[in-house]
Amino acid sequence: MAASDSTRGAHRFARRPERRNSPGLLCTGRAVFIPFVSAVFALAAVMLFVGACRTATVTTTSEASNETLTSVVPESGLPRQIAIISPEKANDFGWNQQGVESVKAVAAEIGAEVLVSDGAGYDDIAPIYRQLVAAGADWMVLWASGYNTVGKQLAQETKTRTVLVGAFETGLVPDLCTDFETQAQDGAYLAGVVAALMSKSGTVGIVSSADDENWNKMAGGFIAGVRATRPQVLIRLAQVGQAAYADAAAGKRVTESVIATGADVILGMGDGSSFGMIQAVENATPPGGADKVWFIDVIGDKSILDTRGILLTSVVWDYRPLLRAALAEMKAGTYGDSVGYLDLGNGGIGLLKSDKIPAEIWQAVEAAKVRITDGSVEVPVIYKKSDLEALVD
Amino acid sequence: MSGILSPEFLSALISGMVLAGMPLLLAGLGETIGEQAGVLGLGMEGYMLFAAYAGFNGALYGGSPWLGLLAGLIAGLAAALLVAILCVWLRLDQVVVGIGLILLGEGLTSVLHAVQFGDTSPRLPSVPGLAIPGLSRLPVVGDSVFSQPVIFWLGIVLILVVHLLLRSTRWGLKVRAAGDRPEALDAAGVGVTRTRFFAVLVSGALAGLGGAYLSVVSSGFFWPFMTNGAGFMAIVLAMLGRGRPVWVGVGAFLFGACVSMATALQLVGVDVPTDAVFMLPFLAVMTALVAFARRSYLPAALGVPYRREGS
Repeated sequence: MAASDSTRGAHRFARRPERRNSPGLLCTGRAVFIPFVSAVFALAAVMLFVGACRTATVTTTSEASNETLTSVVPESGLPRQIAIISPEKANDFGWNQQGVESVKAVAAEIGAEVLVSDGAGYDDIAPIYRQLVAAGADWMVLWASGYNTVGKQLAQETKTRTVLVGAFETGLVPDLCTDFETQAQDGAYLAGVVAALMSKSGTVGIVSSADDENWNKMAGGFIAGVRATRPQVLIRLAQVGQAAYADAAAGKRVTESVIATGADVILGMGDGSSFGMIQAVENATPPGGADKVWFIDVIGDKSILDTRGILLTSVVWDYRPLLRAALAEMKAGTYGDSVGYLDLGNGGIGLLKSDKIPAEIWQAVEAAKVRITDGSVEVPVIYKKSDLEALVD
Repeated sequence: MSGILSPEFLSALISGMVLAGMPLLLAGLGETIGEQAGVLGLGMEGYMLFAAYAGFNGALYGGSPWLGLLAGLIAGLAAALLVAILCVWLRLDQVVVGIGLILLGEGLTSVLHAVQFGDTSPRLPSVPGLAIPGLSRLPVVGDSVFSQPVIFWLGIVLILVVHLLLRSTRWGLKVRAAGDRPEALDAAGVGVTRTRFFAVLVSGALAGLGGAYLSVVSSGFFWPFMTNGAGFMAIVLAMLGRGRPVWVGVGAFLFGACVSMATALQLVGVDVPTDAVFMLPFLAVMTALVAFARRSYLPAALGVPYRREGS
């Protein structure tokens, strides 16, 4: 009956329309002009609201930081307000959170205030930078390599000491800009030792969220550690996306595929997408020969989130040593003269000791650490994904 | 790498296709209904973000993935209500409102996430699958297709439901008329505004389901900007589908298959730069656009606010 009604209706008011081009989305005439103007106002209101929200984030975090201030007054020559701009929210138990927490810790040590602008994205940060400097920040920490070009320009424009990451020597400007780098491959080498000794299936996997220099360096170190410990172990390598740092769903999907190739230990590097990787590991059916799938994290310590006992260890980064070194350089007048490296020696890079790692394997880790620090083992530094792929092949 | 193509691996790839395709399918079906009624859902990304956030909260505090999906559906509905009021009732420009909704979705969910989960990162348990007796034991497709959560089957059923609604019911006829010949619909005594209004609400509800699927089923997690352009892909799929829900479904899972294939190519060790591999899904969509879009038929009044002559 309904179909019959529909057919009649079709003749009544919905004859097959002529195939013609749509009149388009933009209409002309006074009748459309007024709603269009209203829409522009509506959009402006929305953007103001979003902008206000972002500003609120900065302010709130700053107030929260103020609560932890001590009565220490910074020494002359040291910053009184340290500001950090991070691309994503500082609750990722990873890169962004680690950076913000390191800045807060070091600021508390010298009695400086902290201004945090997290979730700033990967676009132009110039307005945020200028806003923070106007608010009194006299040391800017820019927490993404994508900020380097504009960061250096802004530092020179505002005469504000700035920290860049991943710029190497090109980021150095005496008494103005310094640069932080990592020797994260050393920590990942240790993780590779653990993975090789823990794997029962004989296959380990590496999942990274992006073609990121730090991810590549760690993947290279991990591969070297595995190869040096058990050369016969197979290594599977997969990247989630071009910049899928926040894509948890894709992280889960790719990790499931890597586990399906037989990997029972996964090194996951991803920021927000790490959580998808973790869910994939938690719900994985162990591959042949294994009774469990393990996850090795990077940068932060997600132990408190590990309700299913799958977190084997983490290549932890701690930027406090480099921030303290930069403060010492300010006092010594050598700020911006050299690049700072986070490594095993200064305690900035390390491997999380968890109760999942048997004592004899941890001894192997300690032995490998000694060999790296005394120079008898040189961990390769690999920056490009294509070089990594060649290693896996 | 020759031994990599095991049944488990192929099964994981098909699972990946479903995971990547399902949100696009649900949102694409929603967009199809909206477009057929003449309302461009440019704000799909915003609908999905609101729904992903609400869905995550619903599942987290309600303790059930179904409550999460329901919360997502309601959030999508609420966002669509805003769009319906602005675009259908007040006849504002659909492009401008759509962009505004995307910005609002991105900004608001980011702020809410920071406020609510600023110091924690709670996660949801995995959504259990429904093993279809007999079929779930088949090699390769048993785990990947016939052990999917119920929402997957609901999505498949929705393809048929939307198809029947649009093609075989009076309501569907009204919706298509509202997009093609709103003046004819009006002349027949049917309210164009009311028809479009309701179509936009249904569109938002389906997009909401898609957004909630992302946070509740795909990842068990909410993260700002986690839709990663899925809303835009849904719009493209709806346009390629030319009002045919079955083609929207085919497109969604084709895209999912290409995304999954990108992972497979990396793991198999094909000597192609990773950047090129990641272009594969988008190349497939662009190829489909070139091949089919020239013949694609969009409703004549799509994006055009309806005004009765003389009003």
